[in-house]
Formats: sequence, structure tokens, C-alpha cells
Amino acid sequence: MKCHVPGPNVKVLARTVHALARFGDELYLESLPDCILLRTLNAAESAYAMVKFNKNFFSYFNYNYYSTEDNEGLKCKISMKSALNTFKSPTHIDKQVENLEIKLDPESCKLIFQLKCRHGIVKTHFVSILDCKAMQAVYTKDTVPNRITSPQRILSDALNNFQSSDDQVTLEATSMSLILRNYIDCSADLTKIIRTQISLKPAEFDSYMIGTETVITFSLKEFRALLTFSEALNLPLQLHFETTGRPAVFIVHNGTTFEAHFVLATTKADNASQTTTTQNTNIERSKRKDTSGTQGSAKKKPHLDPDISKCLDEDSHLFNFVDIPGDNEIILSNKLNGNHSINKDKTVNDLMDCDNIPASPAARTMIKSVFKRCFESTFDPRSIQGAVLAENSDSD
Amino acid sequence: MKFRAVMIDAGPMREFSNVVTIISKLSKECVLRLSDDLIYFIVSEENSGPSPPILWCEIPQAMICSEYQLIGLDEEHKDIYLALNSGNLARSLVTLKTAKSLKMKLTKKQCPCLTLEIESPCTVSQQTRQVTHDIPVTVVPRKLWSDFHEPRVPDPDISIELPPLKQLRTTIDRMKTMASEVVIRASAEGRLTLQIKTDMAKVSTRFKGLRVEAFGGPIEHSDSETETQINEDMSRVCYCRVDAKKLSMFLSAEQISTNSTVCSIVHKKLVILCLQTDENIKLQCFISGIVY
Repeated sequence: MKCHVPGPNVKVLARTVHALARFGDELYLESLPDCILLRTLNAAESAYAMVKFNKNFFSYFNYNYYSTEDNEGLKCKISMKSALNTFKSPTHIDKQVENLEIKLDPESCKLIFQLKCRHGIVKTHFVSILDCKAMQAVYTKDTVPNRITSPQRILSDALNNFQSSDDQVTLEATSMSLILRNYIDCSADLTKIIRTQISLKPAEFDSYMIGTETVITFSLKEFRALLTFSEALNLPLQLHFETTGRPAVFIVHNGTTFEAHFVLATTKADNASQTTTTQNTNIERSKRKDTSGTQGSAKKKPHLDPDISKCLDEDSHLFNFVDIPGDNEIILSNKLNGNHSINKDKTVNDLMDCDNIPASPAARTMIKSVFKRCFESTFDPRSIQGAVLAENSDSD
Repeated sequence: MKFRAVMIDAGPMREFSNVVTIISKLSKECVLRLSDDLIYFIVSEENSGPSPPILWCEIPQAMICSEYQLIGLDEEHKDIYLALNSGNLARSLVTLKTAKSLKMKLTKKQCPCLTLEIESPCTVSQQTRQVTHDIPVTVVPRKLWSDFHEPRVPDPDISIELPPLKQLRTTIDRMKTMASEVVIRASAEGRLTLQIKTDMAKVSTRFKGLRVEAFGGPIEHSDSETETQINEDMSRVCYCRVDAKKLSMFLSAEQISTNSTVCSIVHKKLVILCLQTDENIKLQCFISGIVY
């Protein structure tokens, strides 16, 4: 694969890489006959980003530059750090760089970025390829009931009201208003944390469609990153989401040359600490009822709605790793098929492993109180019956 | 206990947020005292137990609030004292500069909170958006109120107008890199001198022609300490040695648009910086002198 990116688009690419860097530590690049896909996944596998650059984003795009019989996409994984190094200072990059050439040779172990700068300076970055895997997330964005299109500034303005220490945000979507709150962990000390709530009116958005009213909570770090991205490119942001537990998809696209999908996992809001922010006690009460209802249903798993249980199942393998066969193996199609079945087994095994992970220990350990009785004033050593496990080292 | 205040004017809201920002720079914790006609911010020296406040700020509520309701514990104890994290308050008020209105309320939401409701304009349409911050506070019990009384200071020997704070601050900031203590010297003739001494050098900056607001009479100097300066009548000069860092911190108040800044000196004991704004917000800083 070989392609040329013209100067102004290098800036877009640089912004993309910087946004993706806030998500994950590795960058997956996949080249298809008519587009290039950049993907990343965060370490906790709760956030995924995919940016698709169409053929017309490039001034020159040759998918079959190195081989002509290739019909599988070229895939590679590079470290995010090296990608960031290539695209330093995205605000000024369009003034320095006139053209960027990206080359991916299936035979080579390096991805080549060649920046042709002003005054005839050429910078070439040989980026090591870590892997030939591709990664894809399973999510739906078209059939979801809730869709909001927001002008780029509004949400980032709203987020300015939050403290920099806040790490998750709860979004409550009703047909009357969109409420953003900082999410407070139930273990946090309430006397130290500011609770912030922002209510936005539907009229502020370009389009506002809430099919099922819902409350979702997701990570603020990635949300801030994608807002910066949409703001930097001056493009509106589309929010597609369903209910708690299903991924929320944020889309930024300019219609023709590129499309970015940011997928964030959502968790259930901790209502005990959150409801307090609502000013109206009536709302509070009705909400409490509501939460107790949903909690009840969560406990009785067998009675789960088949739809929900299906979506929960889907969630558990939101992200699939797909091995692509090495170049030698491509020739034989039956071998390829075999490979696929092996992969399936592998993913199944992985899933099994996930199930076997022991539960994390409870927050409050009881170790502290093991010897507590010995220090109590009412303690009588004679009251201890039975064998002595560790004798007194002093024998008087 | 009940408290509710509303601000709707842009100027006072900006001042209010500036004042809170300055306080947050000086100290992590502060006490907000609400009384019938004044709002006080009181900062005591950190980690030194009950000691006289180092910062005393009075804001006349009528000047900045369009609505103000206060109900204290009972008839004798009308005021409310709230201890809160000044950084929390300052960060929540950052957006106040563009806001349309601010409502402050004392609420109980699992813990006592100062609830700020900020109404800010939308960027696109005529509508407004509502931002609510619940800042956790601690209600100061009555028996501790005495710790937050206005410090009783001895009558200053001299009160002199200060040169522009920005100038003063850059000077102090240069000086504090060289020495930790600075001597402020003021004369009844309207001269203010900032002086540091190191092993290598003696640096002093003089400001002339400043208005002297009050002068408390001849100063007695013990001869051993005083440097004789031939052209100056020493009985009309008083000075105080203070910590340079503290002084510089207080001068960060430069961002408030003040209409008068006065420095009062109690000879060798105390420096009082007093800022007053157009809204009659009064900010007083007390820096105690260092005596050997």
C-alpha cells in the first residue's frame, strides 16, 4: 500500500492520531481497497476508536502498490508513541508539511511515513510493526433509539464546568433535557467532592431524538479527547446510544473523506449518590423507585428480558481479535479456512479464561481486626482454649 | 438555618469570582461568614491552630446581591459560619465571568452543601443552560466562632498609598529569589522602600511621592538597629521586616480592579495591606513582622 496525504489533510490525520492516543497505546492500521482504517482500544477494553479515511482523502492511493494479487487487507499494529512522534504539534503541522507519503510493504517489518516539508526537508519515520493483527469492535449505531447531533462547542463548554479530577460522567437523556453530572463512586468521601450538574435544553442541539429515556455513565477522559477532536476539526458530533450497559457511539464525519467512530462502554449510574443532585424531591423519589426496580431485575437474572440478556452476552465479546494469516498462507484457501476455525476456538478459550478470573477482593479487608481482641481491656489470655500455635519466645 | 442569595449583575459577579480566586491561591481552606449585611471570607494561617486570621475580606451583600435571605440559628446567633475548600469554590466559579446569574443556597444533600446555580447563556440560541454545583461545607459550631473574629490590631504608625500592585509584585518577585525576607520602610514624606540584604548585596527599590493617609507621630528607634541616613529624619520613618513569599502571595490580588490600596505599618510588628474595590469589597491581609 502506498498513499499520499496532501498538506491540509495531514493536519486532520495528525489530529486523529492525537485523539486516538488518548484512547489506547497501540494503533492498528488496516488498508482496504478503497480506504484506510485506524483503530485503537484502551487497556481496559472499555473504549474503542475507529477512523476511516476514504480514498478521496488522499491525493494518491494505491492499494496494490507492492503486489497485484493481494485481495486481503494489509494490517499492522504499531505503538502509539511512535505514531505520535511522527505527528508532533498538530496545530502547526499543515504549515510545515506539504505532503505525506505512507508506505506499507507486506514483506517489510516497517511502516514508512515520509513527511515532505517546506524548503525541501524530507523527514522519514520508519515505524516498527509490532503485529499483523487487526482488531474490530462489534457495535450498532444505526438501530439505536437515542440520537443527538451536537454542535462541536456545546458539550465541551459544558464539560468545562466539571473539575479536572472528575473521571466519569453520567448522562441523563430525557425528551425534555439532557443532564450531565459528574459520577461519584459510592466509596468516595462526599464531604470532599463537588457534585456538578449541567442541564442542556434540546434546542441547543442540531438534532435531538430520544426514543427511550435513559441514564448512561462513561469515562470522561476519552470523552474529552473526542470532543477536542471534533472541535479541532470544526465538525459536529453525533451521539448514538441505547441504554446502560450498551456501548455509546460518538461519530464525527465530514461526509466525504473521513468518518470517525468512538465507542465508549457505559456503566450503570450509582444512584444513591447521584439522585441527591436533583433539586426536585419528587423526581428524586420517583427515581429511587425506578432504581430499586431495575436493581431487582438485575438480581433475578433468570427473569431477564431475553433482549437484555442477549445484549449482555454480546457485550462480553464486544471486541474480537482476528488473526490474519501470514503472506505465505494466503495462497491456499483451505488453509485459510482452517485458520479461521482455529481462531474461533481461540476466542472461545479466551472467553472461558475471562470467566475464571477470581473476583477482586472486597474493599475493606478484615486483616486489621485479627489481633484486635488481644488489645482490648477485657481480654483474658486464659480464656483462649486449645492448642498454642506459636509459643512465647520468652519462657518466663 | 437558611441562606439564599442571587446575583445578576456581570460586574459584581466578576469581582466575586476574582476575590474567591485570590483567596484560593492564599489558602486551601477558608471560612465563609454570612451576616445580615456583609459576606465575609476569613482565612486563618494553615496548620497553626486557632490564630488570628491572615486575611479578612468583607463584601457588602447589598452591593453585589439582588436578593439576600439569611436565617441563622436564633435571634442571638444570626450569622452562619461555613468552612469550605476555597479551591472548590474558585473552580466552580470560573464560568461566572460569562454567566447571567448566580444563585447561592445552603442545602442539605447527604452533607451540608453550598449549592451554586449558575445560569449561563447558550452559544447559539437565546436560551440559557443551568449548571449546578454542590460544594460540601462544614458548618462551624458556635463555640468556635471566636476564632474567626476580626483581628484586633494595634493602631498603625503609618498608612501609605501603594504604587500599582503589578509593579510592586514584579519587584517583590525578583527580590524573593535572592532573599527570603524583605524590609518595608515607609516615611511620612511619602516614600516607600523595599529592601533586601544578602551576603553579596543590598538591594532596595524606592517609590516616591505616595500619598500618606495617616501618620501616628514620631517613631522611636533603638539606635543599635537603625542605619543612619543623613538626609532622613528617622523619627518620621517606620519599617517592618516580613516574609517575601507571603507578601508576594498577597500581591497576587493585582487582578482585582481596586480604587484604593493602602499599606499600613505597625512599626516592626505588622504590615496590613488593604484593598478596596468600587463595589466596596474590602480585602485586608495581615502579615506579621519578623523580629530577631
